[in-house]
Amino acid sequence: MRRYFVSAMAAHLRAGGSLYLLTILGVALGVAAVLSIQIINRNAIAAFAGSVKAVSGEADLSVLGYAPSFPEDLYPRVLSTPGVQAAWPLWRAAVALSGDPESSSGQADGGMLDLIGVDFFTPVDIPWQGEPGDPAVALSQPGWVALTPLLAEQMGWRAGDAFTVSRGSRLVRLTVGALVDFHTLNPLASPKLAVMDIAQAQSLFGDAGAIHQIDVKLADGADTSAMRARLQERLGPAARVVTPEQREAQAKGLLSAFQLNLTALSLISLFVGMFLVYSSTQAALVRRRVELGLLRSLGATRRQVFALIITEVGLLGGLGAALGLPLGYGVAQANVRVVSATLSNLYLLEEITRLEMTTWLYALGIVIGVGGAVIGALLPALDVARRDTRALLSAFTLHEAVGSLAPRLFGLGVALPLTAAAWYGLHGRHWQHAGFVLAVVLLLTLPLLTPLLVRELCARIRVRGFGLGYSLKGLGVRLQTTSVAVASLAVAVSMLIGITLMIGSFRQTLSVWIGTSIQADVYIAPASWRGTGSDGGLEPHVMATVTGHPAVQAVDRLRRFHGYTGDRRITVSGVEMGLAQGLSRFPFLPGALPDPYEAVRERHGVFVGETLARKAGVWVDDVLPIHTPTGVMKFPVVAVYYDYSAGDGAVAMDLQTMTQAFGPGPVSSTALYLQRGADVGAVVAELQAALPDAPLEIRSNRRLREEVLAIFDQTFAITRLLQFMSLLIAVCGIALMLLVLAREQVAELALCRSLGAKGRQLFGVFVGKGLSMGVMGLALGSIGGVLLAGLLIYVINRAYFGWTIQPYVDWSLIAQQAATILGAAVLASLYPAFRARQTSAAALSRDDL
Amino acid sequence: MKRVLIALLILGVLNPAVANDWKAAQPDYAWSFPRDHWAHAGYKTEWWYFTGHLTAEDGRRFGYQFTFFRIGVLPTAPDTDSAWTARDLIMGHAAVSDLDRNEHRFSEVIYRAVPLLGGFGAWPEPLIAWSRGPAGTPGKWRLSWNGSGFDFEMRDDAQAMSFSLSTRPVKPLVFQGPNGYSRKTQSGTGASLYYSFTRLQTSGQLSLDGQTWQVAGESWMDKEFFTSVLAPHQLGWDWFSLQLDDRREVMLFLLRREDGTTDFASGTIVHPDGSTTYIDGSAFAVTSQARWQSPRTEGVYPSRWRLSIPQEQLDLKVVVELADQENRSRLIGTLHYWEGAVKLLWDGLSVGKGYVELTGYGTSSRPAL
Repeated sequence: MRRYFVSAMAAHLRAGGSLYLLTILGVALGVAAVLSIQIINRNAIAAFAGSVKAVSGEADLSVLGYAPSFPEDLYPRVLSTPGVQAAWPLWRAAVALSGDPESSSGQADGGMLDLIGVDFFTPVDIPWQGEPGDPAVALSQPGWVALTPLLAEQMGWRAGDAFTVSRGSRLVRLTVGALVDFHTLNPLASPKLAVMDIAQAQSLFGDAGAIHQIDVKLADGADTSAMRARLQERLGPAARVVTPEQREAQAKGLLSAFQLNLTALSLISLFVGMFLVYSSTQAALVRRRVELGLLRSLGATRRQVFALIITEVGLLGGLGAALGLPLGYGVAQANVRVVSATLSNLYLLEEITRLEMTTWLYALGIVIGVGGAVIGALLPALDVARRDTRALLSAFTLHEAVGSLAPRLFGLGVALPLTAAAWYGLHGRHWQHAGFVLAVVLLLTLPLLTPLLVRELCARIRVRGFGLGYSLKGLGVRLQTTSVAVASLAVAVSMLIGITLMIGSFRQTLSVWIGTSIQADVYIAPASWRGTGSDGGLEPHVMATVTGHPAVQAVDRLRRFHGYTGDRRITVSGVEMGLAQGLSRFPFLPGALPDPYEAVRERHGVFVGETLARKAGVWVDDVLPIHTPTGVMKFPVVAVYYDYSAGDGAVAMDLQTMTQAFGPGPVSSTALYLQRGADVGAVVAELQAALPDAPLEIRSNRRLREEVLAIFDQTFAITRLLQFMSLLIAVCGIALMLLVLAREQVAELALCRSLGAKGRQLFGVFVGKGLSMGVMGLALGSIGGVLLAGLLIYVINRAYFGWTIQPYVDWSLIAQQAATILGAAVLASLYPAFRARQTSAAALSRDDL
Repeated sequence: MKRVLIALLILGVLNPAVANDWKAAQPDYAWSFPRDHWAHAGYKTEWWYFTGHLTAEDGRRFGYQFTFFRIGVLPTAPDTDSAWTARDLIMGHAAVSDLDRNEHRFSEVIYRAVPLLGGFGAWPEPLIAWSRGPAGTPGKWRLSWNGSGFDFEMRDDAQAMSFSLSTRPVKPLVFQGPNGYSRKTQSGTGASLYYSFTRLQTSGQLSLDGQTWQVAGESWMDKEFFTSVLAPHQLGWDWFSLQLDDRREVMLFLLRREDGTTDFASGTIVHPDGSTTYIDGSAFAVTSQARWQSPRTEGVYPSRWRLSIPQEQLDLKVVVELADQENRSRLIGTLHYWEGAVKLLWDGLSVGKGYVELTGYGTSSRPAL
């Protein structure tokens, strides 16, 4: 049997090359879609964990602030706690690289640098490359910094080169003093880690008295959880004590919704790919029925036949996986920059600087490829294995089977969503993942409804000639093959249309929201604000220059940092709530207290972003506990506002309330309202001229809006790629299906030729078939897409991100996509049509007549 | 590579090349006591070194060491606005040798000399130096002037050891070298300012493994400050502080070359009346008679010597009380040295006690301090 398998497989591959090729391609694309997302997801977490390990690798616990920083005098308290073997303080900041014309490389691009101030005389593990030189220089030479060799190489910097960084509006000149290779501690560590003396860091960045982290190594045998509790008790409310695992879990938690959604989308591609395997297997089996029948008559058991088919398909799946692995890696590689930018923009995490393929990922690719193919082939394989020898040897078509099953499948297709809807109404709505269950049901429903719909549609076609009607009629006859191709296209189209509608609605909602909340004329933020929640701000002289401009009518100061409510990291913003011009900054959900801007000041309360309100279940009249340096304070919730930030949410309070609760702090950014009639562009230019060296981003209202939308588009770039891959698989399905038809219909086509049909007429018939399938897939998929968009907008996004999205249809975009789908269907039919055209009347055999 | 900064810095202490902006020890230094018991900024290195023999009420015998080092990083503090701005490091070493149980324990601290972590006091405040205890141990290590002698205390919970001792001089302060100028090289490029209290009556408390003893005995205190001591070819030193039962004290040091031969040696005899005689290497002979190899660092240390000073009619056998009195740093990987209690024998009879320090063994690198 084994020898037979090898020789038969080779023969089949030769005979049906293009068919197998399409199958392998479909599997490869499915594997690539899933794998690329998994590679990026895993490496995003690994980049964060890698940097944590490189900086705090030896630490069993880390002390972190609830506010951006905490007082350094907590350090001796940590140090003297029984059970601590070593502890070292870290000052950290994300600073913007602003480049320096005097450095050897000229202007550097404005990336971010994760600058760490350390006490070199604590037992902190610093992976120096070569000797760090005289430590006295590190302490005394202003701006001495150690960089990773990779960054130094990228920037073309050598020891002694100077460059400029900024934190808030403060510019600081640093000098490359030594190299520190964190990659030796963890290969995934960010190359943008840099180390300097803690005293210099505090002094140069105006942060005396504050540190951001204390890493703690415990004595041998110390109980980590008991030590954590002990340290927490000694430190009080100003800081929290976490294990490295908790830090990683928090990062995972932040990303989970984003990653889950991408994973789900990638699985749709795989699902579509499985349809392709299904139809190709089926086609192959129909073609080989006589061979299988002979095998059975020669003594092969049902199990052997089944094993033969499954092994063959598994092998194809393996080939698909082998192709999908590099393809998936390539896709991940091509998109990592965009996704990484999204992650650091939205979730303030480390950038992904390199992708690592772990054994797990290889295994995943193989399992998906082989598993997906086997599952796709399971039904046809079982069907054929179950048939007896006589049935296999006599001519049969599977299309009849589906034809008779169609009503039952349709019934199931109606019952399934109804049941799911009932379940959701009764229980499901309280479960976060319910939206995905509904989406899966929706995508399963489409293939169930397809056979009957296609059959009924085609049955109603009257054939008046050798044209489109003939093409359609033919599809209805070959139902088993047609409906699978139409269904897979419908699933892909659902995904395409659903996500397009969701993104379009979200973009429009965001655009309206921006229009309401971004009202000031000029926005000024430090360059370092792009970094991971940098706590630098605008210095007083910058504020004085900015607010002193004669065209400025009102100034809206914003102080913002990351805080915690419970274990949830939130963005805490302080603004002048009394500012007359700023009354539309927070578009409120219904239910806000009357005159919310006054109430939030008088009650020392907060406005809560919708995301947080939904996730934490905190609404108007509730209180929100937030960690402050003096302990947990409870803030009454005055209103809930529409908020489209990622992460765990945001709150806003009056600046005065913020100062009382958190102590004084720098203004993070500011917005200017100009006198009526002032030239915004001119004011921006004048401010830039007045602050020529300040590392600031001074934007007009219009530019800020554009940039917000640009970040939005960047966020969904990967989603669009997944849509494309899914569509590509579906189009492969159409091509495959038409190839099968061309092969199966050789007799019919030859008969047509003998009756006088011209080659181009046959070509037209096949293109017509492709187009018809495109139309049917589009129609079904559009319905599915609208429903999927509804699920995404009203259920999934709300459950995972807490966003309220207003539905919006961009008809021109939808029309464009419909045209693309139909165009792709026609394109997919060209090769099969070409094959059909080649059919000659001589292909007609005696049997066929 | 880790912790290499500390090691480099400490090695830098001994390197004359770094001495540019630092003060060098001068033979005409104008001493002023008690003010000179406090720190001397501007010199790269300074130490307060206490060693001694203590006996508990129950007769149990202990040797101990307590040292604060000031390690100058910069001659003047940088102009930075930060509580971490440091000019010096403070390093503390403490050891207890339980002579009846044959056990030696070592504890250490090293911090930036900053208000959060440790530092050096200024006369006339009693506090001379202090530091936080080792990680995991509450409290501070302290050295202060009590008007006539020194009080000091240390605690290390991880090593389960602590002591708090008070000392009072039995004999007056002596200079080690003319006007306290102690040459370390033939050429005079290396020298320190060096004085001692050779006999300090000592009492206090000592705890090991939760058991506390009232202890009493005699100590020796060395105070030295300098900028460069070792010449490049000098690898380490053997240093002896011996208290003879006849009320004489002897301090000897021998600076060794890499091949183990003596490059420079010097010493001081303190007579019963407190008067001193300075002797050079030609006036005494020290011969190693036995060796002990550290199982941890593989350093091979001498463990018994014959010591003769003909002009003082001294012919002593110096025998270690306990072979393993090696101090091995856990904070600075390359740092280890032998510092231990010894007994003095003459014709088989006990004639006194002392402490010996052996550095530069078991490693090709130069000693930490």
